[in-house]
Amino acid sequence: MGSRQITEKSLSMIRSLPRISLGNIRDNPGSKITQKRGRGQHRGDKHGAGNKGSGQRQNYMRLGYETGNNPFYLRVPSEPYYRGHHHRRQYPPLSLLELQSLIDKDRLDVTKPIDIASIIKSGLYNMFPDQKQFGIHLTDEGLDIFAAKINIEVQWASEQVIAAIEKNGGVITTAYYDPHSLFLLKNPKKFFETGQAIPRRMIPPPDVIEYYTNPKTRGYLADPEKISHERLRLAQKYGYELPELENDVSYNMLIERKDPRQIFFGLEPGWVINLKDKCILKPRDEELLRFYSS
Amino acid sequence: MATVWRSQCAFTRFFIGKIAQIPNNSSDLGTKLSLGPLSVPWVSRNYSNYAHSPFVSKVKEQYEFDVVKNPPEWAYVERLLPFDTIPAVSPKEKYPSGWIPPREEARNLPFFVSRTKNHELPIYLNVTFRGMRKITQIRKIDGDIWLLNDEIKAYLKEAAKRYVETRVHELGKFIEVKGDYVNVLRDWAYIKGF
Repeated sequence: MGSRQITEKSLSMIRSLPRISLGNIRDNPGSKITQKRGRGQHRGDKHGAGNKGSGQRQNYMRLGYETGNNPFYLRVPSEPYYRGHHHRRQYPPLSLLELQSLIDKDRLDVTKPIDIASIIKSGLYNMFPDQKQFGIHLTDEGLDIFAAKINIEVQWASEQVIAAIEKNGGVITTAYYDPHSLFLLKNPKKFFETGQAIPRRMIPPPDVIEYYTNPKTRGYLADPEKISHERLRLAQKYGYELPELENDVSYNMLIERKDPRQIFFGLEPGWVINLKDKCILKPRDEELLRFYSS
Repeated sequence: MATVWRSQCAFTRFFIGKIAQIPNNSSDLGTKLSLGPLSVPWVSRNYSNYAHSPFVSKVKEQYEFDVVKNPPEWAYVERLLPFDTIPAVSPKEKYPSGWIPPREEARNLPFFVSRTKNHELPIYLNVTFRGMRKITQIRKIDGDIWLLNDEIKAYLKEAAKRYVETRVHELGKFIEVKGDYVNVLRDWAYIKGF
């Protein structure tokens, strides 16, 4: 269509349309910018901080305030049973299956009493006392296959685990170690090389005193008479015949226990181990003996 | 007799001779402080700093110790020391944990999978792409790796009831199997005697 035709057509259109007035006039399309749809409750405004300057830049909002969002620290409902979780003692797990595989692969000597030192010595288990880990929790995985007669000392154990070990004629004790003692047990050689005297083991904190004096959990501070009674009771509960310790060939190994103040088997607090000259320094001083015997 | 200088008492030398003047002396209970011969005569009595305090020239032996050579308790010490090498596994009647020692007749096969230093089978699961891709890897393969590849392919086809893709790395001495077949391949390796 030529330009002349367009002109003609436009003129004829204008002739047929009503006259232009303020009532029917409007802007060309696209000539005006409309307001953008801001996001959020207040259409993307200045979040109450004013326009530019000190209002936006110097007036810092309170910690955690997210300019009108539901703040992150309030988004999750409160779970008070997690209060102080980062201060609680942890007991990293070791299953009975893992323990059995350590025994099968000769990493653990069952003719000697087993404690954290020997389990860490196996090289297939590690523990970090500085990360609030307080020892081994023996768990029940591999409970049915477990078949070793051992004298083991762990820090936490359930009833089934105790039953599984006692069923095989073994002995289990739960004992508390303070972090300093655990560092020594983790790497005894490193400690002996420092030439320091073996310290005393500390007593457990108040909230676990009950656990470690309870004969049901085979606590190391419990009465041995009551423990033997509980052994029999557990055997009757789980329906197995309790092997007699007294007639056992390895009786001496099975009754071996640490003193509540002792960290290593057979080594008393106060002794200094000299690895180079292969000798042990034992204190003779009255004052020291009194200190370490307490 | 031996000298045991406890590390807790690192500042003891500053307190020697002043013990009476220090209130709330919190140094260790098990430490004895004795007035030894001092190198510098007592001149200043300024307790606000240590600058004028005399140093101790000679430390008296503090505690009496018995030095026991070749004690009977040394067995307990040796028990605590780490292994020099990973101990060899002694043959037993049964292994309740499910671990099986390698058998001698596996040596006669045209291929061989050797154990790791921890006496375990070198069969691993590699999980990538946030658990979307699982690849089972058999490492430490010696001998005819292509024959071994054919065997495990046939074995897996029977066990998994479907075609299983594998990839052979001849130079790296490993085979990768697409999918999680760790337990199946471990059973196969135990049957073969590796």
